[in-house]
Amino acid sequence: MNEKDIVLSVKNLNTSFISDRKEIKIVKNVSLDLKRATTLAIVGESGCGKSVTVHSIVKLMPKNARVKADYILYNQKRGDKITEFDLSKLEPYGKEMRALRGPDIGMVFQDPMSSLNPVYKVGDQVAEGLLEHNPKMSKEEAKEQVLAMFRELGIPDPENRINDFPYQFSGGMKQRVVIALAMICNPEIIIADEPTTALDVTIQAQIMELMKSLQTEKNKSIILITHNMGLVAEMADEVCVMYMGRIVEFGTLEHIFNNPSHPYTKALLRSVPVLGMEEGRLLETIPGITPNPAELKEGCEFADRCPDCRDECRKGTIPAFEVEPGHKVRCLNFNSFKEVD
Amino acid sequence: MLKFIIKKLLQMIPMLLVISLLVFIGLELTGIDPLSYMVSPDMAGSAENLERLREQMGLNDPLFTRYFRWVSEMLRGDFGYSIVSGTPISQIIAVRIPATIELALLALVFSTIIGVGIGIVSAIKQNGIIDYVGRVFAVVGQSIPQFFFGIILIQIFAVSMGWFPVGQRISPGGNWSRIQHLVLPVTTLTLSMCAVLMRYARNTMLDVMNSDYIKTARSKGIPEWKVIIKHGFRNAMRPVLVIICFRLPMLIGGSVVIESVFSWPGIGTIIASSVIAGDMPVIMVTTLMVAASILVASFLVDVFTALLDPRVRLGD
Repeated sequence: MNEKDIVLSVKNLNTSFISDRKEIKIVKNVSLDLKRATTLAIVGESGCGKSVTVHSIVKLMPKNARVKADYILYNQKRGDKITEFDLSKLEPYGKEMRALRGPDIGMVFQDPMSSLNPVYKVGDQVAEGLLEHNPKMSKEEAKEQVLAMFRELGIPDPENRINDFPYQFSGGMKQRVVIALAMICNPEIIIADEPTTALDVTIQAQIMELMKSLQTEKNKSIILITHNMGLVAEMADEVCVMYMGRIVEFGTLEHIFNNPSHPYTKALLRSVPVLGMEEGRLLETIPGITPNPAELKEGCEFADRCPDCRDECRKGTIPAFEVEPGHKVRCLNFNSFKEVD
Repeated sequence: MLKFIIKKLLQMIPMLLVISLLVFIGLELTGIDPLSYMVSPDMAGSAENLERLREQMGLNDPLFTRYFRWVSEMLRGDFGYSIVSGTPISQIIAVRIPATIELALLALVFSTIIGVGIGIVSAIKQNGIIDYVGRVFAVVGQSIPQFFFGIILIQIFAVSMGWFPVGQRISPGGNWSRIQHLVLPVTTLTLSMCAVLMRYARNTMLDVMNSDYIKTARSKGIPEWKVIIKHGFRNAMRPVLVIICFRLPMLIGGSVVIESVFSWPGIGTIIASSVIAGDMPVIMVTTLMVAASILVASFLVDVFTALLDPRVRLGD
């Protein structure tokens, strides 16, 4: 594989928040690569730093956040021409970064109920980005494109619906509008931050099918954040499992599902509800609670909840080991394998 | 939108009637006898004479007869006469109301511009210099009572420095002197109103700027000033407008204190003096005016909110 087939490459991303004059590390040394036209899923329970990771990448962070990274490289492909941008060097709200948001990186947020501005027509909200990045485009042209996008995303009666306000849409339809908003400038990367968490199950399936078809038809690269293992199995090509701000296991979909190695990944997969479970059998849970990030001690973050915890797990930083090609696990159980960074 | 406005206007009519009835009954319950203020005890009118006077003035009629007489007279534009001075109430109001409205509107406009402006800037540059200064200013502005603040201003700028007149609205000297007269009372009202507005505007703006749709707007790559004005400001303005509109009745009826401090010849001083003198017809009309201004304010809130928020406009 050519290096330029990696559309987004993040190296040693560290994000911390300043709270009460204390610096709390939320994301620690995260490195990941997104291959062109594939889906990378970032999985983990609430508060593990999934959202913070992607928001750090696109630089949509609150003021009390400190983001550091060796590099965040984005390879823009226009026809055959490839341009490289280092997002870590750009001003968060500067001109260059803004030019990338929309035409290159589109975002779909978690809660469609609150991610649309209540006081503007949905059509205008979708067209806003388009008009911003194409100053010469007329309002009529923009409207035509929005209509085409609405049709593509299966929003019924788009001619009338573009003049409706968000409160006149159902949750699933709103999420389609949010996806339209992310897709309208035809971006290379789509970052979907738990796109279906706020929706009910049947709508979830529709939305995910929609995203899958967009990806296969238009060769989009997707970063999918979720805690839903079913969704991961359905969508992902590669999977990052995160726990307390660290990637604890990384591999292809097959690696993670057929050979889960990190105790946390195993536990996570065991706690997925299955249809037809024996009567009286309880769904497995992971013992303990996620620690407070402000009170983390050294060693493995999962140590307190891990069934295989040993003394050396509580010392220093645990390195990652490559248990098979492309499958990395951050756990001392695998210290017989080659150490990688 | 026109239908919405007409509907809201029509809703005000029954409200006004109910309020007028409440005012009427309320004053009835106070048991003030208008005659005791009209007729000096020295004149020692016999009980018989007083009774005849009562009968003549219709004071012995049943409550509701008197109420309907009052309302129908007012509808015909006859507001009655002041017991104390004998002048028509419509005349008193016509003389006084421009002074009050002048003061109220100026204070409202200045405090809105300054208060909302500083509030929005302190929200965007949270914990910046303007935010800190604004915070101190807000505490000071809210904790010093208006009358005290007015007296301090008079002491410094009128008595010691002699830059501005001590009180009153007009002194010979044309338009320039009118402005000079306005400066101190308007400053006093503006500063105390600013303090509240500033904090409120800052907090709602902060809330809005942390909401999800602001993140969505930023993810589109539009410039930050557009995010702030188009997506932030418009949404933050809705609750702030409610506060601003409800300042209007407070300024019209409630600047009693400020009008007294600056001997400002407005409605506020009339309310105060008519209550002291037991001037029933004047109390009734002015109270009704204050109530009506509250209705107008809430009507304005409805219209502005509907303009800003489609959910209100199209909701039903």
